[in-house]
Amino acid sequence: MNKTAIENHGTSVVRPDDFEAFWADVVAQAEDIPLNASVERNALRSTPEVDVFDVHYDSLDRVRIAGWYCLPVNREGKLPAILQVPGYIGEPPIPKDRAKKGYAAFSAAPRGKLRSNAQYNPGYPGLLTHNIVDRNTYGYRGFYLDAIRAFDFLLDQEGVDSDRIAVTGSSQGGGLSLVVAALRNVRAASAGAPYLCGYMDSIELTHTYPYQEIRDYLHLYPDREDAVRECLAYFDGINFGPMVTCPLIMNVGLQDNVCPPETGYAAFRTIASEDKTMYAYDGHGHDAGSVDHNEISEAFFSKHLKSA
Amino acid sequence: MSDARPTTTRPDDFDAYWKEVIAELDATPIAAEEEALPLRSNEFCTAYSVRFTSIGPYRLFGYLSIPKGEGPFPTLVYLTRCQSVVEIIPQGDANEKRGRFAVFSLSARGQRMSDQPYAASYPGAFVEGIEDPRKYLFRGIVADCCRAVDYAISRPEVDRTRVAGMVANDLPLITSALRGGLTHLIASPDVFYGPMDRLSGDNGYPLDEFNDYLRAFPDRREVLARTLAYYETLFFAESVKVPALLWGDPAENAPLGEVMGAGVALQASEHSRYKDGMIQENWIAEQFGLPDTILPSHWK
Repeated sequence: MNKTAIENHGTSVVRPDDFEAFWADVVAQAEDIPLNASVERNALRSTPEVDVFDVHYDSLDRVRIAGWYCLPVNREGKLPAILQVPGYIGEPPIPKDRAKKGYAAFSAAPRGKLRSNAQYNPGYPGLLTHNIVDRNTYGYRGFYLDAIRAFDFLLDQEGVDSDRIAVTGSSQGGGLSLVVAALRNVRAASAGAPYLCGYMDSIELTHTYPYQEIRDYLHLYPDREDAVRECLAYFDGINFGPMVTCPLIMNVGLQDNVCPPETGYAAFRTIASEDKTMYAYDGHGHDAGSVDHNEISEAFFSKHLKSA
Repeated sequence: MSDARPTTTRPDDFDAYWKEVIAELDATPIAAEEEALPLRSNEFCTAYSVRFTSIGPYRLFGYLSIPKGEGPFPTLVYLTRCQSVVEIIPQGDANEKRGRFAVFSLSARGQRMSDQPYAASYPGAFVEGIEDPRKYLFRGIVADCCRAVDYAISRPEVDRTRVAGMVANDLPLITSALRGGLTHLIASPDVFYGPMDRLSGDNGYPLDEFNDYLRAFPDRREVLARTLAYYETLFFAESVKVPALLWGDPAENAPLGEVMGAGVALQASEHSRYKDGMIQENWIAEQFGLPDTILPSHWK
């Protein structure tokens, strides 16, 4: 498929009428629970340049969430901050590199990730279809809120400038970046190869895991397709787009076999921000051109977070 | 001789150390049991969860996928990655490959599904027990990889002339050196390839686990080096007798190529999962004598 066809590929995603009300209610439920954050320096992972902290906080349903918080050792005043949200199968990295560049950097492990799985552990494969017929208990309901509350953790930090917090991630992190940007006052967002966008389109466009989990589920339970589609509409990144108003960059690989670029474009089209740019990399798959794009995203963060 | 050759000193008892591991493995019944997984099965393959035993004894998990139809089938054995999650088939691979290949994916000790009684930390796994070579976590994990090959080739559906061990680290190469069964391997020499020569500077995890460890215990550098010497990828290379695709900087991997001979292809990454993926799919197809590749839709 050529770039134009990918760029203009349609979507079957329909935004529920009560989409924003649904999320306002879920966010309110989470906000009723104090973060009760603990922050403890981790001497083993700290370096002469970066202080690393083990963080834990309470999220929706009082699930305790872990994260890595990194600060430059030499720091003065309030720092700009970057929330890094993780991919599907990997463990969240310790974001020392960002701290070395002068940011307060937080990398959260939403529920089910290794350090946050004591109360919720649907497994991998498993998370994508856990309670997939019920929007009120679907696995990503809590998972999304864990990312939102990670942003709130940064907001609460004395050393962080609350007006200069960005969010970033690739793959699942790209989808989560859109969710956080939609539901919080984010200064800037960078979403790579966004997953969680056009779920039901994706299972037609690609036959690869993780989306294959949904195909597996519907192969076994074909009569549940309507219920699955109805539930996923509440979690689709495409439907969060109209709520994203901050400056945003997105990058996709035109040969992405994991998160179809068609769905990235579909999400990008819905984003309300007037300051948005798509970077499409031909000859690249799920890496989404990161070898070239990293420099662009660094400059983007520098422009929006470090300028006066 | 390449300048990139690791400076690691081969322990005098290197062979004895691994002979003991293999003897332990041989003395441990594999005791495999399979259970069908209808959720991961479809019109072209049947999936199973597998429980089986490695040294310790330690009960392991794996995903097995067998094509429908008459075998035996060319086989892909996915050895353990530096992460907790174990996949049925790697993210991004066309699921339809499971209709051509038998696929076995190992969850080594500490990974999800093999995390009772021991759950590994990431980061953390690479220094677990490193003070004593006989208690180092990877002594068990290497044995687990060998056991995964034992299990795969025990299946009647597996074509024993076409069994590739693969994953993006050193373990396929180490496994192939220690255990018969693999006919091909795809590896990325990584953590265990001259690690002590690469500790200065910013490496990123998992190699940074060693840097973290040495900051905490600066007097244990010799201890760390001694244990890691038993895992030096270079020392296994001479025992590899099967065709291999080695990812990484060809100059850095040249010492491995010199030892492994004509059967090894040294391949630099194109920094594109699409381009690298195509290279790998084509290599397997060529090595296995397959008429074509089964690609995800966006690669066609």
